[in-house]
Amino acid sequence: MPLPPAAGPEPKSDPAGNDRLRAIGKYSGIAFQMLATIGLSAWAGTWLDGHYRTQTPWFTIGLMLAGVLLALYQVIRSLTNSA
Amino acid sequence: MKHLLSILLFLLTLPVFAQEPAKGAESAGSFNPGEVILHHVADSHEWHWFSTDNGNFVSYFPIIAYQPGKGMLVFSSEKIAEGKSYENLKLEDEHLTTLDGSPVYDFSITKNVAALIISSLVLVIVFTSVARGYRRRVGKAPTGMQSFLEPFVIFIRDEVAKKSIGPKYERYMPYLLTLFFFIWFNNLLGLTPGAANLTGNVAVTAMLAILTLIITLFSSNKNYWGHIFAPPGVPWALYIIMIPVELVGIIVKPFSLAVRLFANITAGHIIILSFISLIFIFRSAGAGFLSVPFGLFISLLELLVSILQAYIFTLLTAMYIGSAVEEHHHEDDFGTAEQSHGGSNLGNITRSDVAAH
Repeated sequence: MPLPPAAGPEPKSDPAGNDRLRAIGKYSGIAFQMLATIGLSAWAGTWLDGHYRTQTPWFTIGLMLAGVLLALYQVIRSLTNSA
Repeated sequence: MKHLLSILLFLLTLPVFAQEPAKGAESAGSFNPGEVILHHVADSHEWHWFSTDNGNFVSYFPIIAYQPGKGMLVFSSEKIAEGKSYENLKLEDEHLTTLDGSPVYDFSITKNVAALIISSLVLVIVFTSVARGYRRRVGKAPTGMQSFLEPFVIFIRDEVAKKSIGPKYERYMPYLLTLFFFIWFNNLLGLTPGAANLTGNVAVTAMLAILTLIITLFSSNKNYWGHIFAPPGVPWALYIIMIPVELVGIIVKPFSLAVRLFANITAGHIIILSFISLIFIFRSAGAGFLSVPFGLFISLLELLVSILQAYIFTLLTAMYIGSAVEEHHHEDDFGTAEQSHGGSNLGNITRSDVAAH
C-alpha cells in the first residue's frame, strides 16, 4: 500500500474483549507449541532410529520423553513470563 | 514433506474413519470416502471442477519438468492424466516420476500454484483500489471496499502490532497486514466450491512460517540472544540444558505456526467432506437430511475459523517479533543493568538534543 491508513479518529478500544481475543490466540498458541515440540522430537527420534537401524527404538523413546519435558518447560516459561 | 502430510492427514481423519465401518462397512463397495477426501484436500496437476455421468470437467495445467542432462520439458498435464505416460514421464499419486527411474524435478503449475496466482491477483486488485481510495479522499471518510477493510487494518495496527511489538511496530506493519489478508483471503477462497485448498497445504504454511522465522531472527537484538544463551536467573551450571532447550524453541515456534494453520484448515475441509460423504456411504438421499445441515453448520464455522486462524497467525508472528525486538526488562535483573541503560538513554537524549538545535 503506498499510503498508510489515514489517521482517523482514534478507535474506541475495548480492553476486556480484545484482551480475551489476545489470550485465546496466545494460549492456543502454547497448546500447539506443545504438540509441535513433542511431534518434532518424535519425528527426529524415528528418523534417527531408522538411520542407525537400532534394535530397540531408543532414540524415539528418549527424544519423545525429552520432547514432553521440553514442552512442559516451554509452557511454564511462557505462563510465568506473561504473569 | 509428503510423508508428514500423509501422516497428519491420517491422524486427522482417524475420528472420521472410526465411526464409518460400524455403519457402512458392507455397503462401502466402490465408493472410498478416504480416497475422495484426500484427493480433494491435496494438491494436483489438474483442476478437477466436477464430474457428471457424462464425464469429468477438468482444466489441465502445464507440466514443467526438469531432467538433469535432458533439460526442461513443458507440456499439458492432459498427456499424463489418468496413468498415461509421455516422454518417459508419468504421474504416480500426483508425484512426477520417470519410467526408467532417472531423477526429475517438478516445477509444474499445480492447482495450488494456480490458486496462489489467482488469489495474489485478487489481493493486488482489492488493495490497489483501497490504496487509491486513500489517495483520492485524503482525510475524508472511507467508502466501499476501503471502509470495509479499514477496521481490519486498524485492528491489526492497534491490537496486534502496537501491543505485541511496542514502539518499533511500524516497520513490521506491511508484513503483518500482508500475512493477515493473505491467510484470510486464501482461507475464504478455499471454502468456495471447486477451489483449491491453499492454506491447507503444508508447503504454503511452512513458507509463511519460515518468513516469520527469518524476520524474527533478522530483527532480533542483543537482549533476545541474551535470553537464549544466558537465561536470566538461571545458574550457569544449567546452561548446558537450557541453551539447547531455548534453541529448539526458536525452531518450534514457527513450526507450530505452520502446523496449526495447515491442520485447522485441512481438518475443516475433511469434516465438511466427511459429512457430505455420508450420503454416498449410506447410498440414500435420506442421509442428506442429517449430513447437509451438519455440513452447512461446519461451513459457517469455517467462515469464523478462517478469520480466527489469520488473526492467530498474525498475532503470534507479532509476538515472536516483539520478543526479538524487546528492550531489557528491569524487573528481571533487580536493577543490576540500570547503569548500562542509563548510559544509552543519555546517549539518545544528547543525540536528539543535538538534532533539535
